[in-house]
Amino acid sequence: MFEGIPIISIIILMPLIGAVVTFLLGKREQYAKYVALGFSLVSLILSVLVTLAYAIEPGATSTGYHDGNGFFNYQFYESYSWIESLGINYIVGLDGISLPLFLLTTLLSTLSILFSWDTKLRPKEYFGLMLILEVGVLGVFTALDYFVFYVFWEVVLIPMYFMIGVWGGPRKDYAAIKFFIYTHIASLALLVSIMAMYFQAGVGSFGMEDIWRAGQTEFTKGFQLIVFAAAFFGFGVKVPMVPFHTWLPDAHVEAPTAGSVLLAGLLLKMGGYGIIRVAIPSLPMGADAMQIVIAVIAVVSILYGAMLCLAQKDLKKMVAYSSISHMGFVLLGFATFTELGIVAGVFQMFAHGLVTAVLFMMCGVVQHKCGTRMIPSLGGLAKKMPIAATMMTIGFLASLGLPGLVSFAAEFMVFASMFQMWSVWLFLPILSVAITAGYYLWALQKSMFGPLTDKIDTTHVHDVSWYEGVPVGALIALIAIFGVFPLAVFQYIGPAVKVVTALLGGG
Amino acid sequence: MDVWNNLNWFIPQLLLIFFALIMPALDYIFRDKRILAWVALIPLLTIGALTVAWLFAGTWTPLASGTPLLEINVFSGLFLLVFVAVGIIVVLSSPDFIRKDKNQGEYYALVLLAIIGMSVVAESADLIALFVGLEIAGISSFALSGFRKTEKRSAEAATKYFIVGGFSSALTLFAISLFYGVAGTTNISGIGAVLAGPSSQWIMDSDPVVLLAAVLLLAGLGFKIAMVPFHMWAPDVYEGAPTPVSGLLAAASKKMGFAALFKVFLIGILVTKAQWEEAVAILAILTMTVGNLIAVSQTNIKRMLAYSSIAQAGYILIALPVATQYAVAGGVFHILTHAFMKSGAFMVVAAMGAVAIGERLDDFKGLSRRSPFLAFSMTLFLLSLAGMPPLAGFASKFVLFSSAVYSSLEPGQSWLIWLAIAGVLNSALSLYYYARVIKNMYMEKGPEEKVTVPPMMCAGIAFAVVMVVLIGVFPDPFVSVCKDAASAFTGLLSGWP
Repeated sequence: MFEGIPIISIIILMPLIGAVVTFLLGKREQYAKYVALGFSLVSLILSVLVTLAYAIEPGATSTGYHDGNGFFNYQFYESYSWIESLGINYIVGLDGISLPLFLLTTLLSTLSILFSWDTKLRPKEYFGLMLILEVGVLGVFTALDYFVFYVFWEVVLIPMYFMIGVWGGPRKDYAAIKFFIYTHIASLALLVSIMAMYFQAGVGSFGMEDIWRAGQTEFTKGFQLIVFAAAFFGFGVKVPMVPFHTWLPDAHVEAPTAGSVLLAGLLLKMGGYGIIRVAIPSLPMGADAMQIVIAVIAVVSILYGAMLCLAQKDLKKMVAYSSISHMGFVLLGFATFTELGIVAGVFQMFAHGLVTAVLFMMCGVVQHKCGTRMIPSLGGLAKKMPIAATMMTIGFLASLGLPGLVSFAAEFMVFASMFQMWSVWLFLPILSVAITAGYYLWALQKSMFGPLTDKIDTTHVHDVSWYEGVPVGALIALIAIFGVFPLAVFQYIGPAVKVVTALLGGG
Repeated sequence: MDVWNNLNWFIPQLLLIFFALIMPALDYIFRDKRILAWVALIPLLTIGALTVAWLFAGTWTPLASGTPLLEINVFSGLFLLVFVAVGIIVVLSSPDFIRKDKNQGEYYALVLLAIIGMSVVAESADLIALFVGLEIAGISSFALSGFRKTEKRSAEAATKYFIVGGFSSALTLFAISLFYGVAGTTNISGIGAVLAGPSSQWIMDSDPVVLLAAVLLLAGLGFKIAMVPFHMWAPDVYEGAPTPVSGLLAAASKKMGFAALFKVFLIGILVTKAQWEEAVAILAILTMTVGNLIAVSQTNIKRMLAYSSIAQAGYILIALPVATQYAVAGGVFHILTHAFMKSGAFMVVAAMGAVAIGERLDDFKGLSRRSPFLAFSMTLFLLSLAGMPPLAGFASKFVLFSSAVYSSLEPGQSWLIWLAIAGVLNSALSLYYYARVIKNMYMEKGPEEKVTVPPMMCAGIAFAVVMVVLIGVFPDPFVSVCKDAASAFTGLLSGWP
């Protein structure tokens, strides 16, 4: 369908143009949301068309097919020279691992913009920054050159810093700076490891494929171990893994709802994506040597994150900690180095993106309508806001892994792959299922059901507004659809993951 | 036409001298002092256009120098471009900043003279020419710092700068005399040849006189580039001097020091590198760390920018111990980008001074509402200084730091990786205080009334913004030119990744 059209670049460019238009609106601030929604919607529609045009069994006839010959096989591949003197090319393309996340990005960005429909404070800047954020994340998920990857990776930081810092809650200053510094230090570790790979490969190119190919012979085991550790730290902070997770609850609690949605739904995925796209394929021996470390960190993240949830009084903070736990599953899936585990990890990223967006949006609804998110102050809200209560229940059930909803398929596969690998040690992460069910059901009971609270004034509490209900409804529909037909996503991820496992086997 | 042939290579300086000399006279003619700034822009824009045509378009080439004292090559051309660009930005911002001051003609004359001195340093092939250039630039800058004679701060800054500058000149001169005593020549590549050549076996590469001269020169030029521990004067002078002058000092005058350092250390005494590389590496790390650490606690934006440019000098110093053409290209590239982002940042401060906002960090509160243009430009400059892509500062830091990583992969050179790590960690640290200014501008509540920035200042700042974004997004032509500039250092490894 897109023969000869640089469609990926167009999709990345759309929100950028939208952002510029938004910033240039001048005094007509009230139109910012229409512009933002329009441009992000165009990206969404185009990315859906790209998904439809994506060939599951790629061949030379597929659109923009690029045969990685042992590395990943890309479609919609584009390559232009950018900084010739340093061997930097602008290369983008999609494969089965990036495609679901790419689609997730355009989807969540559009829905978040819709969800923020009544933003009154500096709407021009707000929507402009959201679009820039979308540009950065789309770039990260499609870039196939390390330099370009890093540029997009850093571009994401600035809009998020402003979103937390300007539109955030009471402790926004602290949270914004902490987020910025924490993730920036991680990025710099990543930068140094990219430089090391570039020079060690010695092919004068930052292309992922070129460096990977040269690395087969040039990267010694010791080199791989050091560089993998640095890169893993760089990506792991973003995931986030325990013990580098402390920026996340602060950032989430203070960020505006749409910011949290993008933070949890997309930014965390960048970490996971980086591990599976950059760290493991390029440095398989380093990854192999650290397999147990990754697995232990993953299990600790799963359990520790879940236990922290139990102690939370703030609904949003609880959801934030649950992200740490659920992203632990991604790491655990990757750590098995089996095809099943990695597919499950990628799918869990996709699933968590959908589910956590619902959860944060519902936290936002509760905050918006009741003026507080403190679980002890809430209660019996189902009587006042039945639709919201229903949506929240579905969201919580999806997150705790109810069969038939999207997370179940992902978590089940992670457990299965872990059992293959480490058999009875499975009892550790599986404990988290019980804890997760515990905190979600407890929170649901306290906030939505039971007698109506008298701690807040509930006379003016209304049900969800249309601009809140539509995005959540759309997400819930997707959660159900992909819960019943996870194969719809697996069929894309599977072939790409086969390449990764082949690389690991070779290493 | 012999005279003309010999003067051809001196066109930029002649042009500048002519305008510098007529400037005080014009002061008596024009009542609207703004015209003086426009006149001062004539030579700067002309030279700028010629240099761009030479370096980037290849449509014009200056003749090779007709004297052994000066050498015209891409290296000197690039530095000339840096000085002229900073000059343009400074001159554009000046008329509104000094509109109430007397003797404006002298001001522009001194700016042009300072640029002459700097360009002579960049072109010098001989220590004597280098010293003359340093002095021309130095004396003009002393006078410029004290331009507001009646203002106590300005006078204090000028006095401090003069004393420190005089001292550093003495050290430099002493070092030059030692070099002459050892090598029998003041020609920089001549000294290199003598130290390396077989005809002078009696000079060991660890000859104490050579090393003493090197240390003295490092100290003398260390004052110019505000290298720790010779940095104390910089914050005081930058704070006290008129803000556009601070910009000139931080963005251009400092770069002149680097041009001199590169020439002497990487051509003149390159053979003794083993003796000084570790010391310079430690000084580089010390400079960036001390600069950043002290910058964190500053409450005055000019002092903060002063410490930040001390830190930036530390980054650029990385090029000396790494000493490959790639590293020099990185150093020169960072000098180029730093010139735009630092002068841009100072001009934002100058603009705030011109509209009476003040220069404390607290004065930035709510700036995004009062002047979205200033706040946005400042944000770009600060993010670029911190090295955020896709801005100029990232591109140049990338080349600079990666040169250390590149060389550290050579056997026996692995310690160089610490330079890259220190640079990277310092970048993260610097982000903290830059982000605080951005936070003040966008996230804090401040006075609400709008301010109108004078159009000429807007033009100067906008020029710097355009360059910071342009170099960041399309660094390729700039990297190529820096690569050509570095190839003047023939003694260094020419390996390019």
